[in-house]
Amino acid sequence: MGLLQQPAARASKVDGRRLRSIKTRRRIIDAYLSLAHEKSPLIPTAVEIARQANCSVRSIFERFSDIHGLQVAAVDQVLSEITPPPPPREGDDRLTRIRAQVETRSRSCERWLPLWRSLMANQGESVELRQRAVALRERIVARLASMYEVELSTVSPADRKRLLIVLEALTDTESWARMKEFFGLSFEDACQTWTQAIDRLLPPTPSRA
Amino acid sequence: MSKVAGRAPSGSAVSAPSKPDRIDGRRLRSERTKQLIIEAYLSLLRENPVVPMPTATQIAERAGYSVRSVFERFPDLNKLRVAAADYALAQAAALAPPRHVDGDRKTRIKSQVETRAGTCERGVALLRVLIFSAAEDDELKHRVRLSRERTVERLEVMYRPELSTLPERERENMLIALEAITDHESWARMRELHGLSFADACAVWMDAIDRMLPPTPPTA
Repeated sequence: MGLLQQPAARASKVDGRRLRSIKTRRRIIDAYLSLAHEKSPLIPTAVEIARQANCSVRSIFERFSDIHGLQVAAVDQVLSEITPPPPPREGDDRLTRIRAQVETRSRSCERWLPLWRSLMANQGESVELRQRAVALRERIVARLASMYEVELSTVSPADRKRLLIVLEALTDTESWARMKEFFGLSFEDACQTWTQAIDRLLPPTPSRA
Repeated sequence: MSKVAGRAPSGSAVSAPSKPDRIDGRRLRSERTKQLIIEAYLSLLRENPVVPMPTATQIAERAGYSVRSVFERFPDLNKLRVAAADYALAQAAALAPPRHVDGDRKTRIKSQVETRAGTCERGVALLRVLIFSAAEDDELKHRVRLSRERTVERLEVMYRPELSTLPERERENMLIALEAITDHESWARMRELHGLSFADACAVWMDAIDRMLPPTPPTA
């Protein structure tokens, strides 16, 4: 083939390079997530990430301005992969909804605790990381509002806001961690603690017309 | 050793301090310097909580001493951090004794919440640093644990009448939930993320605790 390659062949070569670059980027992010999980709350070094991703340190910094940029990309990847849990089913009673929400939340805490700690500990002055942490919390609050809309609709907007603040604090990831690590509760006992507390906090469920 | 030990028994004035007095004076000054260094560290943390460990130079400068003075009293900065944790724990205990323990429900909730809120306002920066660093430091881990145990003990004292009406398991669960709700990070979020004033944040906690606690048994 001459210097002037056919357009289709040139496009195919560029696409191939781009694809490989995307795959390498993905491997780097996955390597970061895996190591951050293991070393939490400390964050891995570029050398460690490169080794895990089977690429050079240079490859990392060709794709991310710095480790902080990689952290942000990693958090974005996690956010995009978290599947929202199903909404409450019509007719589900109070206890069923509380148990469903607690079960989902506790499993999420179990899975994401190391990365969450890493994010919290290493936000530093990073506006982007703080924004991601806030976005994650907002998702949790939205879920709480959805699951307990029936009860929350019976109180004033100010009380609703207060209750959501408290429910979020109660079911925070570190709160889960403390139940398991500090208080030594089993998964089931920790779920029961949350279930009982939420049941006490929520106003009475209005009876159906 | 008593300050007066070793003094001449006669009524005549003693012109120069005796050796034990001199040693005590040096020791006192050294302890005072230690305290000032710790306070300098804590004040730097409060001002810039994103930096978990200010440098020795920054700490010395803030305290008004030399870097040498810092390392004469603390073998390394980790030891300074542990000493700061002990200082903060002692300060929290001194500034936040249980009040209105025998008051009615509303009074006890208000008292416990305001005390806890004050402790959180003062201590959140240090606690964040301790928790982050505790993963690799057993001494710090112990201090974090101690801090939490004291929080739970305080809840037990302040809400004894209501807690006494619960079966053992439920009582434990209640304490765990109250501790989670009144955690220092929960406080920090109310103030920093939700922008609540001190009074409004206290109101959130008071409302929550009132909802959580079972009815107060009638007094005999």
